[in-house]
Amino acid sequence: MSNLKQWALEYVLSDDETAQLEITKKAALEIESSRASSTVVGNWAASVQQWMTPANAESGPAEDGVEGVSGDIIARAKVQRLIGFFGAMFSYDHKAGITASAKALRQLYAAKSFKPNMGIKILEDVCKIKEDFRLQTAATRLELYQLFLSLIQDPAVSSELQHKYGSSCGFVLDLIQVCQSERDPRNLMIWFKILALFLTEYDPSPEVSEEIFKVFSAYFPISLRASATPVGITAEDLKEALRYCFSAHHRLDILKTIQACIESYDNPQANLVPYVQNIWNSLKYEVRNGEVKETINATLQVLRAIARKLDGTKTFKLDVSLLKSYVDLVSRDCGDDLANPTYTKQAGLLLMTVISSNIRAYVLYNAGFIDTIRQNLRQPKSPSHAADLLLLLNSLLKTRMELFRDRKQGHADDEESLKIEERTHLDTLFHDAYLPVWTAKSKEAASEDKDVLKQVTQGLALLVSQQVLQEDGTPTLLCSASTSSEICSLLIAIITRGLALSSNDNTAEDTTLEDEAVSALRTIVANYTDGYAELAGRVKAEIKQRDWSNPSEYSLGALKDLLSRFTFIGCSEIPSSIHLETTQKGLPLQHFVTLTASLLGLFPLTPVVKSSLDEGATANAHVISSLHASVIWFREACEAKYGAEALTSKQADAQDWLAEFRGLPEHSLLQSDESAIAALSPSSDDGPAIYAQFLKRSVFIVASLYQSASTGAQGPWGEKALVQLSQMAALVVRSLDEKHQLSCNLAHEAFNFFRATTEPTVETSSGLASGLLTLGILQGLRPAAITGLYNPGGHAERFMSEIPDFGGLSSSRESDIRAAIGSILANKFKPGPQAAGGDAGVLKGVLEFWANWLKESASSTSLDATSFRAGSAIGLNFIAGAAARQDPQVLTLIPALHTAASSPTPNGEILASSLGLIVKPSSLLTRDNHAITRLFHKQWIYAHLAKPLLQPAQPGSADQLAAARYRVAVLSVLPHCSFTIYQDDLPALIRLLVTALTSQEGLSLSADTISSQTVAALEVLIEILGNEPATLAGHVGAVIKGVTKVYQENPPLSSRKDTATGPGVTAAKRALCRRLALQVLAAVPGRFEERHVRAYVLPTQKMLAVACGDPVRRVREVARSARAGWARAVQGG
Amino acid sequence: MSRDLENANPTILNVSQLPSRRSKRPETRRGPDSKCDSIVYPEQHWSYGINSSSDEGEDYAEDPVDEQDIYDLISTISDPEHPHTLGQLSVVRLPDIHLSPSPAELSDPDSLITASIDLTPTINHCSLATVIGLAVRCRLEQTLPPNYRVDVRMKDGSHAQDDQVNKQLGDKERVAAALENDTLQRMVDKMLETCT
Repeated sequence: MSNLKQWALEYVLSDDETAQLEITKKAALEIESSRASSTVVGNWAASVQQWMTPANAESGPAEDGVEGVSGDIIARAKVQRLIGFFGAMFSYDHKAGITASAKALRQLYAAKSFKPNMGIKILEDVCKIKEDFRLQTAATRLELYQLFLSLIQDPAVSSELQHKYGSSCGFVLDLIQVCQSERDPRNLMIWFKILALFLTEYDPSPEVSEEIFKVFSAYFPISLRASATPVGITAEDLKEALRYCFSAHHRLDILKTIQACIESYDNPQANLVPYVQNIWNSLKYEVRNGEVKETINATLQVLRAIARKLDGTKTFKLDVSLLKSYVDLVSRDCGDDLANPTYTKQAGLLLMTVISSNIRAYVLYNAGFIDTIRQNLRQPKSPSHAADLLLLLNSLLKTRMELFRDRKQGHADDEESLKIEERTHLDTLFHDAYLPVWTAKSKEAASEDKDVLKQVTQGLALLVSQQVLQEDGTPTLLCSASTSSEICSLLIAIITRGLALSSNDNTAEDTTLEDEAVSALRTIVANYTDGYAELAGRVKAEIKQRDWSNPSEYSLGALKDLLSRFTFIGCSEIPSSIHLETTQKGLPLQHFVTLTASLLGLFPLTPVVKSSLDEGATANAHVISSLHASVIWFREACEAKYGAEALTSKQADAQDWLAEFRGLPEHSLLQSDESAIAALSPSSDDGPAIYAQFLKRSVFIVASLYQSASTGAQGPWGEKALVQLSQMAALVVRSLDEKHQLSCNLAHEAFNFFRATTEPTVETSSGLASGLLTLGILQGLRPAAITGLYNPGGHAERFMSEIPDFGGLSSSRESDIRAAIGSILANKFKPGPQAAGGDAGVLKGVLEFWANWLKESASSTSLDATSFRAGSAIGLNFIAGAAARQDPQVLTLIPALHTAASSPTPNGEILASSLGLIVKPSSLLTRDNHAITRLFHKQWIYAHLAKPLLQPAQPGSADQLAAARYRVAVLSVLPHCSFTIYQDDLPALIRLLVTALTSQEGLSLSADTISSQTVAALEVLIEILGNEPATLAGHVGAVIKGVTKVYQENPPLSSRKDTATGPGVTAAKRALCRRLALQVLAAVPGRFEERHVRAYVLPTQKMLAVACGDPVRRVREVARSARAGWARAVQGG
Repeated sequence: MSRDLENANPTILNVSQLPSRRSKRPETRRGPDSKCDSIVYPEQHWSYGINSSSDEGEDYAEDPVDEQDIYDLISTISDPEHPHTLGQLSVVRLPDIHLSPSPAELSDPDSLITASIDLTPTINHCSLATVIGLAVRCRLEQTLPPNYRVDVRMKDGSHAQDDQVNKQLGDKERVAAALENDTLQRMVDKMLETCT
């Protein structure tokens, strides 16, 4: 003992690895030489134990010792012996040694020379502990469970065990003996896992299986008393684990076996009927009182299988009495339970399963079932009882739909029986069951009652969707038109009431009932198509009776909700072709036409808006938004119903829809009567044809709105409405194929706005409006449909090389739009084989023109900053469009850009800080919009535009001003590039970043430029810290100093400290700088060796503590996480 | 599992019932029809041009520390007994948090502010009240700037020995000494694990 103790101490104190190895060898030999003596082993374990505090358990001498022994020096035989030694511990009652031995054994299991048969030895040895196991502490037992688990789930050990024990699984019984009275939740989690593994992986004999079942079933139902020191395991976890054991057990197999037998046995009369009662009696409680979901489902499957078997086959029906007596049996046992809230759900489930398992049982019994539910609904015991009953009713209606849908797959009698099915009890459901509940509950507002109302709403949707067979075999809707209409108005009232109430009356934030009503109406009008016209009528009436010239915020919100719901209900699902006898067939485009006609009829809500962004303009914009949404929804509905191919399939003929449009009588788009719909509807239910008709109508709508927006003064058109119209046009245009884009000559219309005459008209609408309209169409056009614009003297050339009259640009928005159009025109140019001269020359000339303009305007001081900013944005966007398709012409412009950026003028600085526009991601230049973008164009631009500047931008360069400008230029490009693009240039970049953060003095950069540059530098630093922090190792100090400086120089507005940044920088931008600076600091701890950051720990922590009081919330949040990170790093270090 | 709970059946609030800043903002629509809201009712309707995607805006408006902030910091601490947070168990309540003087009204960002928090134990003889108080104190000291003084107390009458508990929690040295105790420190760390 003393020897071992001494060695253990020496081991701990020794720094030298070889010395440690020597000691472990000595210890091993000592143990080896006295194998017979259990005391020595116990002593060994005890001597090791004192060094095994939780803190160093991971790297303690025991493990190391074992590792040392088990390494290359002492091979497999030694491992085997060590297993023997530690295993022997379990045969003796030596408290101190058990944990250590268990840990050692786990370590040995992980050793290289471990062999599967050793696993068996371990298991056998450990089981010798027998009753003493429960005397161990929970932590020790946990150690052992983990050992068991790792052994048992090891495939090699497992196969060895199965080979040795076969299905008798003797070791399992031993283990059960040892572990059976476990109570600690953490241990139970593992023990359950082990038991489940036995059942699933080890194929035990039925006897053993039964033993295992006894073990875990004894824990059922499991609960968990919370303790003062929660271990992070909830009762739910335990239940889940236990449930898994159950589901692994053969009971499920038994249920599945029964099901398989029932399904495969012939002659049910002889082989099934005698046993039905027995099966039912033994299985019903699995559902009635069951808790395990898998078992319940499997049981229901068995019960369903019986009902199907007793019904007969597709070709041969059995005598009806068999099925009847079975359903009667179930009904007798379950009927009363429906009145008992505790069992309503389960009993209903049993009954439903049996009744709805086939059409014959359904037709015979559904009336009785529904009647019982109805009676109970009259006097429910509690709101949840009512909700359960409604749930059952709804489920029955749902399964009825499924049975009806599959009616042709069964026996011919089934369909016949549906024709003569009793219907009155279904007919009256609305007035007898749903409506009374609704009337009673809708007055109250308790949340439980709301659940009931939601159930009713869902039920109503199901009810209206029910179909019945007429005598001639054609399906029609169950509910009469009047009932359906009544249901619709009930639901419509819910969604229109928001507009009718005032903001004081309607404070409910919970809109779940409204949302439920919306979903219900959507289902209803897809079947009962007349419902949508009713809805449209109500919506129009509600909206029209209000004055929208100056609506309140509440009214605008209510209008938005109503229009959005109105749109969703009609356009997100294509109506089915089932119809009422009295009305015409439901047509796919019916609701889309009704909706768009209603919206066009409503527009404008207020005929003249005072300013572009006032409330009246917003109300008008909501109508256009809904038209836009209707196109989005209907397009998606087409894709869902007919598949994505329907959206891309080419139409054989590409007529000029616009010719047809111009021939339309006035106001025809406002018509939604039968003839208007029929005119648009294709004769068959053919996806591509319907989609084409939908697009045609969409083009008509866009064209008519374009005409309205482009003539005369502002009228009803505010900025929001124009933007929505532009984006709607983009969506419609980009959905058209090339042929249609060409046949409608949309490239021309982009500048003509569908006006009837081609002669040049007086520009009446504002530059902004016409710009947005042009942009909308161009955005969606395909390159091949746009070529006409590039003819010399054509629209493109005229537009692109027109130097805007900057004084005349009424707002920066106008130049934004010009820039956007420019980028599209420069991008969608597709040089054809014959295009060597003319049109290619046009584009080349345009690019050269802008490069020159930029160079000259940057070096002159005659153009003021605002105008130059606007002009350069337009020019750079042209270049960006061309650069996205890697037009080689762009490369010839780059030297000019570099020169312009270094011009010692204020405009030069503006250009340098705007160069990033060339790589800035744009929603216009995407594949969806048919833009031509090369995959690696960003790499291409970076390599030619930014990379050559890295060297001249370094702080030591001769020309300090040019260097500063180049830094600004590089940092304007980088944030738009992903890390991998500049990854190879990190060393040069990091020097540049640090300079950008630390020394801006004396470089005559404007405050705005400096803060943009700072933001960019911080963003790039965060990227580098996240991806390759090692490259920053030598610069950590400089980075911390730099960001600290940034933080201090961008104080919050409320601080009275003198600001280092000028007045040109907004408070928001300063807050952004602070946040990013702190974000960089937050990323530092744990990424660098302590020596790099040691000097900065205290000041940084102090600064972060102060930053936790920053007046801007988002800054505070980052400060807190950075502070916690630094605190952890200090503790850890 | 080792011992019975002192309060086996506390009232638990649903997370959505807790006071939060979110409910004070205009609500975003969540219904089935709201899927394309971001396209047809964008927050910023102008998406073109240089300033289109900058995230400057209201998010960076100044919004000094207030009672809700303090509540958010401490309501997510776990109860030592139950698998719930102090907010869910109403041990921490928004009306029982006070900042004086209110940071929003202060002109000097460095002036001293006292954050006083009254805790309401779930039962009035709760022996874990001190530990809870300690955890709240720790959390606030780790997350508030240095010009804040933290004063954690049991709400009057909410605890049988509130005087004693308050004295313990108010005594800096005793608090420091308590945190020297490994078991206590671990317990507090465990409670703070759920804070983000």
